[in-house]
Amino acid sequence: MRPVTARGFRDVLPPEAAEREVVSSRMAAVFSSWGYELIETPVVEELAAVEAAAGRLEGTVFRLIDLDGRLLALRPDMTVPIARLVASRLEGDRAEHRFRYSADVFREHESLRGQSREFRQVGVELIGRGGAAADAEILSLLVRTLEATGLPEFTIAVGTVAVLDAILASASMPESWRQGILAAAHQRDFVELERLAREGVNPHVARAVVAVPRIRGQEDAIESARVATRGLGCESALDDLAETWALVGDAGPTGAVMIDFSVMRSFGYYTGFVAEAYAPGFGLPLGGGGRYDRVLASYGAPSPAAGFALGLERVMIALAEQGISIPVRGLDAVVGGEPAEVFAASGRLRSGGWRVVASSLDGVELVREADRLGAAEAITATSGRIVRLDRAGEPALPIEEPLPYAPTATWADSADSGLTASGGDGS
Amino acid sequence: MSAASSDVGGIVRAAESSTLRPLKVAVPKGALFEEAVSALGDAGFDVAGLNDPGRRLMVSGAGVQFIIGRPTDIPVYVAYGGADCGIAGKDVLVEAGLDVAELLDLGFGGCRFVVAEPSDSQARVKERLAHLGVLRVATKYPNITQSYFDSIGVQVELVKLHGNIELAPLIGLADRIVDITASGATLAQNDLEIVDEVLRSTARFVGNPAAIRTDPRVLALRDALANSRPGKETA
Repeated sequence: MRPVTARGFRDVLPPEAAEREVVSSRMAAVFSSWGYELIETPVVEELAAVEAAAGRLEGTVFRLIDLDGRLLALRPDMTVPIARLVASRLEGDRAEHRFRYSADVFREHESLRGQSREFRQVGVELIGRGGAAADAEILSLLVRTLEATGLPEFTIAVGTVAVLDAILASASMPESWRQGILAAAHQRDFVELERLAREGVNPHVARAVVAVPRIRGQEDAIESARVATRGLGCESALDDLAETWALVGDAGPTGAVMIDFSVMRSFGYYTGFVAEAYAPGFGLPLGGGGRYDRVLASYGAPSPAAGFALGLERVMIALAEQGISIPVRGLDAVVGGEPAEVFAASGRLRSGGWRVVASSLDGVELVREADRLGAAEAITATSGRIVRLDRAGEPALPIEEPLPYAPTATWADSADSGLTASGGDGS
Repeated sequence: MSAASSDVGGIVRAAESSTLRPLKVAVPKGALFEEAVSALGDAGFDVAGLNDPGRRLMVSGAGVQFIIGRPTDIPVYVAYGGADCGIAGKDVLVEAGLDVAELLDLGFGGCRFVVAEPSDSQARVKERLAHLGVLRVATKYPNITQSYFDSIGVQVELVKLHGNIELAPLIGLADRIVDITASGATLAQNDLEIVDEVLRSTARFVGNPAAIRTDPRVLALRDALANSRPGKETA
């Protein structure tokens, strides 16, 4: 048989994998500089545990049945597994937790939609802290993280689900109507939203339901929302957002951030601010997040929490579309000759910081192999000496103690340090 | 039109005066095409190229690029960002189930999704349901049809066809059909009777969810379309 990968799953080959590693380590460096600790969870969760927090996930979650007949789910995101972990393993620990992750998540998609069923999410969760300062920390971190990826242009749209929740709570209407409004807002179906708003609601509520999702802008948008929702119990939600906005401004330039009350995330567990990141001209969001204060309560360990995740694949596409190349440090040398000589010489070069492949070739063939592998040098090891080969495969310049710096070390470092300057250690 | 054209004028100027690429607008071929073109024209766009596209699939006007596609493909173009926005029937939007922002009911292209069966077969359909517990239904729209029969608690076996759905009951392929109809004339001519209505559909202006946040021209076009057809807008 000729094996293939399952629909929606794929292999990642060297050039791409190396670039993914560079970009995700840039993001990890920013997270680390803000004190977020790396965490891992199982790929598989109990389906019931996932649904307890995220609601019904029919058609979204990848389900498995094990030999005991238990329904399992491949994690559809990392927010729910991390909440589960905090509730079950760090129970009674009321401290703040700052976690970062880089993990593959899984979503079901119908066939022929051109959608991956596995993708890499890189993100953070801040658990145990609520309020505007925590919201602002997550938002500022999102801004700094996108900057660190090297993306020159991006937009972050910030809204809050608390405003629509408050409007709906103040309307004395049946539950089915509320569900209808929420569904229409989630599907961004403004036509249905207007139709439902006309269904015998008090005119003030109807106007607010239609007007609020259309409000967008900078700080002024929060004021517009205040006017549109006066007397509907949205003051505290809007105060929170205004305070968050001010704090994010204190943390650095926020030209990329805008207020947009139509932002909704695909999972329904958000309770406060929600954010979504976009790159211009790219029709899919790069990622997003928000505050989800009730998720841990669904596991019996109530605690405020917020976070975001970026889709690594989408960030890579956006970088490519904006013409940003990712500097990947290549190979310094291919060393050829007699095996014993090659092993000894390669060892010395590696301890000097060189990236070296050991080969059994020599002469012109070794030069060709070095070209194929993209190595800076072809080197032959003979009689305890290390000698560079010229293009014709003839011994040319010897390499002597002290060993020179690895050819790729300097340019890779300088390329990287410039881009991770805002992100900290760059490791 | 005068108020609206200033909005579209902004879109056109934005594209001409800067490095901004033209706004990509998806336009459906077929039944909705003429009214879609006239709506875009009323909103202030130069649609001369659309009036006679020949075999071209992309037509450029000032500050805009029109993408002409099959009606069922318009939600795909818009959801995945191949087009920033477009015009699509509610019927194909529901059937596609993709993530697009439905921004405006344009009011034209009205049609109904109906359930129909041969006029002489009520008794036979009842018998079949009573003894076999399942109906066979032919349609071009399996998702809408399945969710409709689920909602009324009737089990069905779906047969997906690509056209001339009215034939299915006549050649014994299905007990009932679910199809769209504007006037009901085709159904009547084939001795089919409407037994229920599933959904009413009109043309909608839809936007890519990322484009509505990153490109102000999409919402400007929505407003231009709304303002240029105040009487026709039902939303």
